[in-house]
Amino acid sequence: MKKYILRRFIHMIPTLIGVSVIIFYLFALMPGDYIDSNRQITAQRAHDLRVLYGLDKPIIMRYFIWVKNAMEGNFGFSLKYLESVTKLINQYIWNSFIIAIVTLALTWSIALVIGVYTATKQHSLFDRLVTLGVFASLSFPSFFLGLLMIKFFGVDLKILPLGGMIDTGSTSTGLSYVLEVIRHMILPVGILTFLSIGSLTRYFRSGMIDALKLDFIRTARAKGLKERTIVFKHALKNAILPAITLLAFELPGLFSGAIITEQIFNWPGIGRLQLEALSFRDYPVLMTFTMLLSFLTIMGNFFADVLYAVADPRIRLK
Amino acid sequence: MLLANKHKLEPSKKRSETQWHQAVQRLLKNKLAVISIGFLVFILLFSFVGPFLSPYNSNDVEVALIKNPPSLAHILGTDDYGRDVLLRLMLAGRISLTIGITSMILSLILGTILGAVSGYYGGVIDNIIMRIADILMSIPGLPLLIIVGALLSELKVSSDYRLYIVMLMLSLVGWPGLARLIRGQVLSLREQTFMKAADVLGLSDRRKIFNHLIPNTFPLLIVVATLSTASGILSESTLSFLGLGVIPPTPSWGNMINAANNLIDFQKRAWLWIPPGMAIFITVVAINLLGDALRDALDPKMKGR
Amino acid sequence: MKKRFISAIILSVSAVMLLSSCGTKVASNQNVKASKVSSIGDQYIKATDPSKSPDKAKQRTDTFVAAISEPGGVFLPYFYDNGWDGNATDPIFASLVGQDPKGNPIPDLAKSWNISSDNLTYTYHLRQGLKFSDGSPLTADDVAFTLTILDDPAYSGYLDISTSFIKGSEAYKDGKADSIEGIKVVDPLTIKITTEKVNPLNLTILGGQVLSKAYYGKDYKRGSLDYLKALYATPLGAGPYKIDKYIPGQEVRYTANDNYYAGKPKIENLIYKVTSKDTNLQLFQTGETDEDGFTTDKDTVDELESFGFANVRISTVSDYGYIYFNNKKSYLKDKSVRQALIYGLDRQKIIDVKYKGYGQVANIPTSPLVWSYNEDGINKYKFDQSKAKKLLDAAGWKVGSDGIREKNGQKLRLSYLTTKSTDEIIPIAKEDYKAIGVDFEPEIMDFNTLVGKLNKGDYDLASVRTNGLVDPNDSVEEFSSKKTSENVSGYSDPVADKLISEGVSTVDIKKRKVIYQKLYKELTDNPPVILIDYRKSVKAWNSRIKGLDNNNFSGVSSTNLSKLKIEN
Repeated sequence: MKKYILRRFIHMIPTLIGVSVIIFYLFALMPGDYIDSNRQITAQRAHDLRVLYGLDKPIIMRYFIWVKNAMEGNFGFSLKYLESVTKLINQYIWNSFIIAIVTLALTWSIALVIGVYTATKQHSLFDRLVTLGVFASLSFPSFFLGLLMIKFFGVDLKILPLGGMIDTGSTSTGLSYVLEVIRHMILPVGILTFLSIGSLTRYFRSGMIDALKLDFIRTARAKGLKERTIVFKHALKNAILPAITLLAFELPGLFSGAIITEQIFNWPGIGRLQLEALSFRDYPVLMTFTMLLSFLTIMGNFFADVLYAVADPRIRLK
Repeated sequence: MLLANKHKLEPSKKRSETQWHQAVQRLLKNKLAVISIGFLVFILLFSFVGPFLSPYNSNDVEVALIKNPPSLAHILGTDDYGRDVLLRLMLAGRISLTIGITSMILSLILGTILGAVSGYYGGVIDNIIMRIADILMSIPGLPLLIIVGALLSELKVSSDYRLYIVMLMLSLVGWPGLARLIRGQVLSLREQTFMKAADVLGLSDRRKIFNHLIPNTFPLLIVVATLSTASGILSESTLSFLGLGVIPPTPSWGNMINAANNLIDFQKRAWLWIPPGMAIFITVVAINLLGDALRDALDPKMKGR
Repeated sequence: MKKRFISAIILSVSAVMLLSSCGTKVASNQNVKASKVSSIGDQYIKATDPSKSPDKAKQRTDTFVAAISEPGGVFLPYFYDNGWDGNATDPIFASLVGQDPKGNPIPDLAKSWNISSDNLTYTYHLRQGLKFSDGSPLTADDVAFTLTILDDPAYSGYLDISTSFIKGSEAYKDGKADSIEGIKVVDPLTIKITTEKVNPLNLTILGGQVLSKAYYGKDYKRGSLDYLKALYATPLGAGPYKIDKYIPGQEVRYTANDNYYAGKPKIENLIYKVTSKDTNLQLFQTGETDEDGFTTDKDTVDELESFGFANVRISTVSDYGYIYFNNKKSYLKDKSVRQALIYGLDRQKIIDVKYKGYGQVANIPTSPLVWSYNEDGINKYKFDQSKAKKLLDAAGWKVGSDGIREKNGQKLRLSYLTTKSTDEIIPIAKEDYKAIGVDFEPEIMDFNTLVGKLNKGDYDLASVRTNGLVDPNDSVEEFSSKKTSENVSGYSDPVADKLISEGVSTVDIKKRKVIYQKLYKELTDNPPVILIDYRKSVKAWNSRIKGLDNNNFSGVSSTNLSKLKIEN
């Protein structure tokens, strides 16, 4: 097992390098570059600016310059914001993170409960309604729900804020600041949770139904074990493998920002920064941010592999 | 004696044939399956045959009729160009159904096979496939799509075909998620007793993977199938922002819903978004029911004992 | 089981229907649609019941909350790359010369100015006792510093000062001189700038926002401007407000500047709050904002009106939308083909669908707000399919067996680039052009890709929009074949070339008007582009804010901010 972990860890390095090359080329090959977004400037000026930003060098040279800088911890300056990329990303990414992590916690707990419950009461009315509810949440885009909730809770009932992270003109600090942010988080987290619960519930439900059909469950029931013990102690463990895989997928998601939700709620997250960087071809921001997410993706899959063996002792990883 | 002659043992057909045969029979007896197939047939007819029955043209821009509520002349009202919503709903089905179901099947096949192979063999094969999966998962979607769009534009591919090429490409790049899920399952299934039995029986690798391991992942596959159909239909409309979806004025359920994405239309003009939303909803429900029914039909034969 | 399932479906469908009808206001006049959508002139709707102002707003007795979209935090004029930062810096930095409601120059920091008779030398006279918000004095040295830094070889911002042709700027840029010869500080209150070529816009370009030499020039050495980055977030200016706090993605907060020359503003606090189109109406409705710009459609205007406390202004925006012809392509070089393509496009229909009354067909390559706008003698290219067909026939394009015209073996197939997937032009142009035998192939792409293709000449038609237009030259400059970098369409017309250079060779408005009238005639007769639309914008503000005038050019800007006051 230890050998496996060590080997896997080492393999991540060439993977990361490979990813960085592919991503760098991807961004560089996108048609139009940063200078193109300004239609007003003269060709001479455009040329001068390209030289200034180093955009006139061949792609492979630019890649190695980037790698050298990255090794020194210098991730460049945003072309658009004219600010250090790390500082820029830092300003926004934690706002996305707090929303994502609370959503993750809520989604997984609620989905688990509903998934398990509908699996034990398969074909009941509750199960059917939940199923239909899930499908409804999949068929209609998130936009609608967000707008509707804002109107209902913010304008009509006036009990929740309409957006932003803090009240307009607020100067609160310390605990009152924290409470204020929490108040503002309720709607975006609520909506994101509602949307993510759907698919997750389906996975848990399916896994539980399968687990409950296994032989040893029949034996356990025959032995007279309490249903609750059977469900939560024995069946659940068998349904856990897909859950591990899915949890690993969530890791990069914690930092990638929910673009539409952030837009609707004017939440200062990393989602909008991403889109802007993409449409303006802000290469330094794009590279750094994407590499961060790929690092998290690869790490997530690594952890999942290790956890498989922990969760199911029968698994032999070669 | 006569009876014995009559019921001579027939030479053993391939095991799979009798299994499937029985499964289909059971399927037809399953009320749920019949309903779901009925739904699907209805929607297919609705989309592919329905438009011929409409007196309207999908491109009739009638300024005076913009966003009219349902009436006798227009059963589902008119949209933001004054076009008949019912007709566009039907035409949109052609695109959305094709896209949703094809992309789902493609990614399902790729992801399942690669995941199962990876989980079964382990070792070097697993390593290579999973590292490729890691890399593909790390590639950001939007920039890739922008490049593909530019490439297709350079190659002068007609806008009508771009959507299909993009869907194909997305399936080729989108298999890692499902592959990891399947692989996880297979890692565990591989060690169970029924697989040991298969070993003892001396079954070929191919047999073991396709006839035993993969069928046991069906419940997972069904969940993925329903989820990816819905997301496939809706992702087409996201693609259209990059010019890789259907080009206007061709309707799709996704872009019909997006046309009503402001609060005022949402509240006052429900006929703009409820029909396409319901269409997607019905499709997803139908696919899920069919999947469930299929799983039940194949169940007693396939579950490892 | 079957029954339960069906009842579940019925339940959920009804639930969806109920949810959506929650709060549905039955619009009684839904079916009252004019058979012809007429364009609406500028409108000003006064608040009918100011007492309806939401409590949240009423409680803000000393703060004005205006709206902004996406500030980037680079609060330094000439250096930011994001238009919203321009809005954010406006209250902080005052200029020498301001603008009145009609766009004419008025004194701001400069109390008066002289322009030499040859229109090459500009002398600005500063007011007495000008101070930056930290109390330090503002003198001609600061103006000189501002203009010098714009000619620094490392300057990479948006303002191309070379168009002002300041004497000695090239020498400074190349390092041959240590200061710019044409910039002369006569005395602390007087600055004289000598240029080498007439540019009618120089008065406002040279008289722009003033940067403090002591603050921004402390470590200045030619060729290195990086040190300024540290100062982006903490600006210092002589405008009516000074910055208080910047909360990225949320707000920019200001407090009144005691040292403002026109007197400390009556409203102590100003906040620019970040809003988005999705919810800005609700934010305004609940009093979170006092002012914003909204989607231009009847629904929104009706909503705003129904609030009672809002002053609503619907006015024309100073820009226009148009479609580039790739004039370098052989089949588009022919004038009659281009004219046919304009006659053959029902532009009024496009306007109707796109703007539903809040837009107008454009027939002149400038906006209705620019002083050179003149419709006399202009061909309006009224939609006429038979005329289009005749022109194409006469140009030798015969309809082929597949319905598409061809000439010398080439089919008349035109690619059309746009960035909007819901571009209203596409469905209408497709049908209209099909009817006259032209194959229309739309392609949607993101903005940078489109610009890349424009620059390479890889297109037939491309949809764009101008920036905000102030001077007539702003929009016609790119049609001159002499301006090779601006002229992406490849248009070349010697008559137009001559008129375009004449237009900027004099400062006399009367003379310029005549020149532009001739130019517009030439440009409509030999069209470089298909002009599409003018549009209206909707701005609303809470009537408790007094002093926001009902005009096009000001709104919330540094010249009127100090005059606003709150009356709840």
